Amino acid sequence: MKKNLFAVVFAAVLAVTGNVRAEVNAADAEAFVKDVTNDGIENIINANISQQEKDARFEKLFNQALDLDFIGKFVLGRSWRTATPQQRKDFIAVYRELNTKTWSKRFDEFKGKNFTFKGTTPSNSANQIFVNSTVAMDQGEPAKVVWRVKQTGDTFKIVDIVIENVSLAIAARNEYAGFIKNNPGGVDTLIKNLRNKVQTM
Amino acid sequence: MIKKSILFPATAALLLTTTSCATTGNINPHEENDSLESYNRAVFKFNYQVDKYVLRPLAEGYRDVTSEAVRNRINSFLDNIKEPLYAGNHLLQGNFKQAGIEVSRFAINSTLGLAGLFDVAEGWGLSKKKTNVDETLASWCVPDGPYFMLPFIGPSTPRAATGLVADTVFDPVYWATYNDANVRDKITYTYWGVKVIATREQALDLLDELERGSVDFYSTMRSAYLQNRKNMGCRNKDDDVQTYDFDFGIEDEDEAFDEMEAE
Repeated sequence: MKKNLFAVVFAAVLAVTGNVRAEVNAADAEAFVKDVTNDGIENIINANISQQEKDARFEKLFNQALDLDFIGKFVLGRSWRTATPQQRKDFIAVYRELNTKTWSKRFDEFKGKNFTFKGTTPSNSANQIFVNSTVAMDQGEPAKVVWRVKQTGDTFKIVDIVIENVSLAIAARNEYAGFIKNNPGGVDTLIKNLRNKVQTM
Repeated sequence: MIKKSILFPATAALLLTTTSCATTGNINPHEENDSLESYNRAVFKFNYQVDKYVLRPLAEGYRDVTSEAVRNRINSFLDNIKEPLYAGNHLLQGNFKQAGIEVSRFAINSTLGLAGLFDVAEGWGLSKKKTNVDETLASWCVPDGPYFMLPFIGPSTPRAATGLVADTVFDPVYWATYNDANVRDKITYTYWGVKVIATREQALDLLDELERGSVDFYSTMRSAYLQNRKNMGCRNKDDDVQTYDFDFGIEDEDEAFDEMEAE
């Protein structure tokens, strides 16, 4: 009897886990990342427009494609729980600005390059999937770029980019945790320093 | 001899620092394995100054006086020298096909590629896959050990440092010049000098970008280093796939925090 019960519970757990994975539409997730990279390369990098217009287009695409609120919460780590509503709001705002500016500058590195997509890999996190790709480098082996995509209803958002095995979200999270640990001013000082970084960019 | 024994691991480790942004075992986003943090931060500061006043200016000078085409030839030449080492390590890792490819690459590029200046083999579909003793040890499931900073060299772990020494000892340049002490010294010092500067030059833009957006450069470098190392596969475990598949969910994290605080 006990064994039967165990089997039923086990099957139910499997079914739930299976459902979690099945919820993400792999083909659509890959198509979404393809569209984002194509849009960026064709309509921003290769477009014959002013730098100002490029920056504006990039900001729009970046904010549409990435769930920066979600990523911001994750990268602040356990400090998110203790942060005041104002600190949370300020952090997300400056984090968004920092990343938009950083990647706007770095985006040109992809000039003349194309992503080759290599299918998807399931994730253990609910409603998330990895879209695998490579990008040819000027010299040497192609770089591996993996996109962590989250699906909510019919909407897809990128929540992490893993370049050559380095997750940018984890790197940022560890950086901020390291900063907060070594600065008595905590989240407020972090926000102040991030603002300074943004201003000097 | 003593000098050389210091110089080799030092330069080799420097290469590791700049070429691979790396980390040890623990990729748990809640914390990183850095039990020697205060010592590591002090050495990091020291290395940063050495880089700022010595290595970086040399790398920038090298960039100023060479064209990209010239640097590409030099990088190809330096890489070609290491092909036998890549082949040996692939063999030890059980990657026989890739080991064969590296041997073919070495034969083709050393001759038709004019001593490795040109990568002719790549055009024939024989692609290089760099590897080293550290990765071989990882494939044998040798544990990585704690993260620590080596003076002059940079981020390391006991396994990485061991691999570095072994890579240096097995370097083909060292053995090719072994019988003539005079020639050996001149060639090996020149070889490592060029190699360190060329490698730093390749990392100039990437490291600048990383530092520009970072409020704690030490933590950023550590995270990148350790995450990269985590991906070095152990053949007996299936943990080398999607190691970055940490639980990326705010609600789940809250539960994890509750557990940690309850402990």
